Amino acid sequence: MRKLEEVLKDWEAVIGLEIHAELTTLDTKMFCGCKLEFGAEPNTHTCPVCLGLPGALPVPNRAAIESIVLAGLATNCDIEKHSMFYRKTYMYPDMSKNFQTTQGPVAFCMRGHLDLDVDGPAAKERVDLDGLEVGESRGNVTRTADGYVAHVGITRIHMEEDAGKMVHVGGGEGRIAGATHSLVDYNRAGTPLTELVTEPDLRTPEEARLFMQKLRQIYLAIGISDCSMEEGSMRCDGNVSLRRRGSKEFGVKTELKNMNSFKNLHDGLAYEICRQAEVLEEGGQIYQETRHWDPSAKRTIVMRVKETADDYRLFPEPDLAPYNLTDEFIEGVRAKLPELPDQKADRFERDFGLSAYDARHLVEHRATAAFFEECMGLAGADAAKLAKPVANLVINDVTAWLNADAGARLEESPLTPARAVKLMRLVAEDAISSKQAKEVFAAVLDEDADPAAIVEARGMRQVSDAGAIEAVVDAVLAANPDKVEQYRGGKTGLIGFFVGQCMKQTRGQGNPKVINELLAKKLG
Amino acid sequence: MAGSAEFFRMGARALREGLAAREFSAHEVAAASLARVRAVDGSVHAFLETTEQLAFKAADRVDAAVAAGELDACGPLAGVPVAFKDNMNLVGTHTTCSSRMLANYVSPYTATCVSRVIEAGGIPLGKLNMDEFAFGSSTETSAFGPTKNPWDLSRVPGGSSGGSAAAVAAGLAAVTLGSDTGGSIRQPGSFCGLVAVKPTYGVVSRYGVVAFGSSLDQVGPFARSVEDAAYALNALAGRDALDCTSQDVRCDFTENLAQGVRGMRVGVVPAFMEAQGLAPEVKAKVEEAAERLRGLGAELVEVDLPNAQAAMSAYYVLGPCEAFSNLTRFDSVRYGYCDPGHADLGGQYEASRAKGFGPEARRRIMLGSYLLSAGVYETYYYPAQQVRTLITQDYVRAFERVDCILAPVAPRTAFRFGEVSDPTEMYLSDMFTISINIAGNGGMSMPVGLGADTNLPVGVQLISPQFKDENMLRVAAALEAVYGPAPIAPLFCEGKTPEAPAAIPDAADAVPGVDLPGLATAGAPSAAPTKRVPHEPNSPVGCSRESGLSERPGAAEGAPAQVEKAGE
Repeated sequence: MRKLEEVLKDWEAVIGLEIHAELTTLDTKMFCGCKLEFGAEPNTHTCPVCLGLPGALPVPNRAAIESIVLAGLATNCDIEKHSMFYRKTYMYPDMSKNFQTTQGPVAFCMRGHLDLDVDGPAAKERVDLDGLEVGESRGNVTRTADGYVAHVGITRIHMEEDAGKMVHVGGGEGRIAGATHSLVDYNRAGTPLTELVTEPDLRTPEEARLFMQKLRQIYLAIGISDCSMEEGSMRCDGNVSLRRRGSKEFGVKTELKNMNSFKNLHDGLAYEICRQAEVLEEGGQIYQETRHWDPSAKRTIVMRVKETADDYRLFPEPDLAPYNLTDEFIEGVRAKLPELPDQKADRFERDFGLSAYDARHLVEHRATAAFFEECMGLAGADAAKLAKPVANLVINDVTAWLNADAGARLEESPLTPARAVKLMRLVAEDAISSKQAKEVFAAVLDEDADPAAIVEARGMRQVSDAGAIEAVVDAVLAANPDKVEQYRGGKTGLIGFFVGQCMKQTRGQGNPKVINELLAKKLG
Repeated sequence: MAGSAEFFRMGARALREGLAAREFSAHEVAAASLARVRAVDGSVHAFLETTEQLAFKAADRVDAAVAAGELDACGPLAGVPVAFKDNMNLVGTHTTCSSRMLANYVSPYTATCVSRVIEAGGIPLGKLNMDEFAFGSSTETSAFGPTKNPWDLSRVPGGSSGGSAAAVAAGLAAVTLGSDTGGSIRQPGSFCGLVAVKPTYGVVSRYGVVAFGSSLDQVGPFARSVEDAAYALNALAGRDALDCTSQDVRCDFTENLAQGVRGMRVGVVPAFMEAQGLAPEVKAKVEEAAERLRGLGAELVEVDLPNAQAAMSAYYVLGPCEAFSNLTRFDSVRYGYCDPGHADLGGQYEASRAKGFGPEARRRIMLGSYLLSAGVYETYYYPAQQVRTLITQDYVRAFERVDCILAPVAPRTAFRFGEVSDPTEMYLSDMFTISINIAGNGGMSMPVGLGADTNLPVGVQLISPQFKDENMLRVAAALEAVYGPAPIAPLFCEGKTPEAPAAIPDAADAVPGVDLPGLATAGAPSAAPTKRVPHEPNSPVGCSRESGLSERPGAAEGAPAQVEKAGE
């Protein structure tokens, strides 16, 4: 198979996502008073309603309706005042009533959008943007200095209930095929579930990943779900089709499942795009089917071929009255809307003079954004000066550390905002070099100690005295006459070598700025 | 006061007065009532199960209240023998809906209407026969055999709440509950000569009543007097947090009963009176009742319901659609009849449903399944909903001019077993009642004596504006003053009562030790229920739940069914 970037030169991928999020932060289920609790003993949080016993009736959870309206407001949706629940019929043991209570043609939230900032190498996957000037738009994208912004439509967010959980046992390694029987845990049955459907506006796996990431940030910010992709409280399915560059007609799409991490979402879609391209290029045909992403085998496999459209016999749920949301209700929910990640990023740019890139990455996680804000508070009058160095510390070092250690939590780490500010002050005051700062950063985490104390204990004072450094520079140049000659002959890349040697001689304590200046003068 | 042999004749007021005067105890009432059911029900077959333990527990509660001098706190049905249609859940009892599908299903919880009646002091005697899942107008579709009309044992009691009607007509209970989706309280009420009330949709909670047509179903009482029916409504009515279609109705339904009808405007629908198929003896009785009301000072007003003739068509779209959906849960997996020996889930579903449901249930399921399918839905369901709106508006307009409407209940008196075999002809039993369910109004059957030709009970229908059910009760009380209270069927009056002992299973045999709803030990019964054998032999046995699963439609998890050639 060809590589994705090659494929995307010839083919345009059309991607739409369906993203389910359980409202895990609520106390009770969607239509009954059973407690929501992940990981409880099977079938301990059940009642006649969520077990679908004869005669039981649903009563909607008002808090769930508030949550979905909050989600709609946070994703620029129109809130539909008049909507209702429907019954979607299909028989399967995990669905106790054999119909799922969901919404019909009109959902609580309709016609929203999110704007995605795409930069870096991924921005180059959009070959259709070649020739576009900064600020210029084509279709749903606008060129920016370091990439582009994609305006992605949200068709709807509707409210529904989750099914129970099935476990297949007795052989077959947990799979249906080969299992002797299946067990059902109805604790999850009736969990309030939102489903967001995007327009087919996404064009690359990276855009899909960014959309999912951004939506997750928003859901976490508004607090409606714990958005755990591993535990399945946030799940994503993708619809993918290809068309030749320049073509307006949609190709046949496949539906992709089991993309339970950002990486799997990206890789699954990337694989599927390449697979479809190969089939089409060989003169084959894409069939409308559901495919399963297998991350270990790194391929998608057919789950189910859709020969005909499913007939869910959707009709209005007679046990639940149609909704008539009042302005008062909607405005009440709007008042609960917290600052959203985009708004926070704008504020960071505005208040602290950060670049858009830095601001965006700081707000990717609530913890890092909060940490940064606390640092700025402690920095006081120096906030403007320390903003960029602290942002770099958070975006690079802190993020790398958090990524490397799955269990790490910034809020509980030895790196307090006060220590971070102190560390960056030491750098700003030329007391230590930025290279030394990395060492101090690691030591803070290891030893749970104050940066100043670490610097003191290790004798890490930076040498900025030009006289002392000049002697070192001279010695290095004298010891490497051949390299000096090469440098002067045009191999200016050797400057790094000289700086490195000088740093080594000063045991890392030489001020790189002073060293650079002296080297430039003496070699020039 | 009368001796214990007379308990079966007593209504709520007489029982309360006797208890208050300590002439007898609720325990004695319970014992005598249960004994009568066992002695007599063999000829009627109204009961599917008795609830002896619960009856005595409820009676003890009433007796304790009497002893404490707190009978008033006991509620309007203190000491009243009651029984429930078998689509109403009562913890620890079977809830079969008279279907093989649920022959061995034991309720782990209690319906709101049932618990309200018991909390109001009612003494629960047992569960009553019905048409399977309430599909029918004769109780002939019960999987456990038909109930007989106490007025003529060769005739049907009507349906679907036939057991509820027959029990009251035979003097086996003073008050029973039925449910009415298209006429299932009113038509058997008419066939058995009883006061039978289908309140406005939303007056009584449907929680715990196995649904037939969720937007049409309503629970109501059978009684032999308007006053008893009103007492029952006092216990039943009102908002239930577990049914969000229930409404906050708080009123004393006995309040207006003595007011008479002077000055009331009573509507008569000419199209109903001229309807094809309306038996002359029934028509004559309705006209006679109208004249009596006029004589009592009511003003008769002709009203038009121009769209009512479309009610039957709309009903046989909406009803089956909702029934199909409500019955989809009976899939043999978690409870209910399970056909043994199937290796695949689809096969188990199909066979269990084919054998678990009777012909009428299967007919409605298939009809609903077809009507809701893609491409058909738009053609039938949509117009049916539009017709529903029109009919509702018809009633709203009619009630701008009248306080109550007088109409026939059923086109004829009780028919013989097997006499009506064509389903469409059977559906016509509800031609005068269905539009009231479609519109959601209150309606009731009020006995007005015997038909001149068949010498069988005839009821007239009284229809109320929505949530003004007290209007029809007031008119009913006026008619009662003329015609007298509903009699116990002559065959079952003292001296004539046929001794036909019944072998009725008792709930305690199924789940011993279950307490009354609302008392401390609520919750799922722990003991394994005993098996019950449906009328036709072929009882369900344990089934294999091994393997046989196919992939879930739209499955979000689980393994792929088929692995395609891997890509590179």
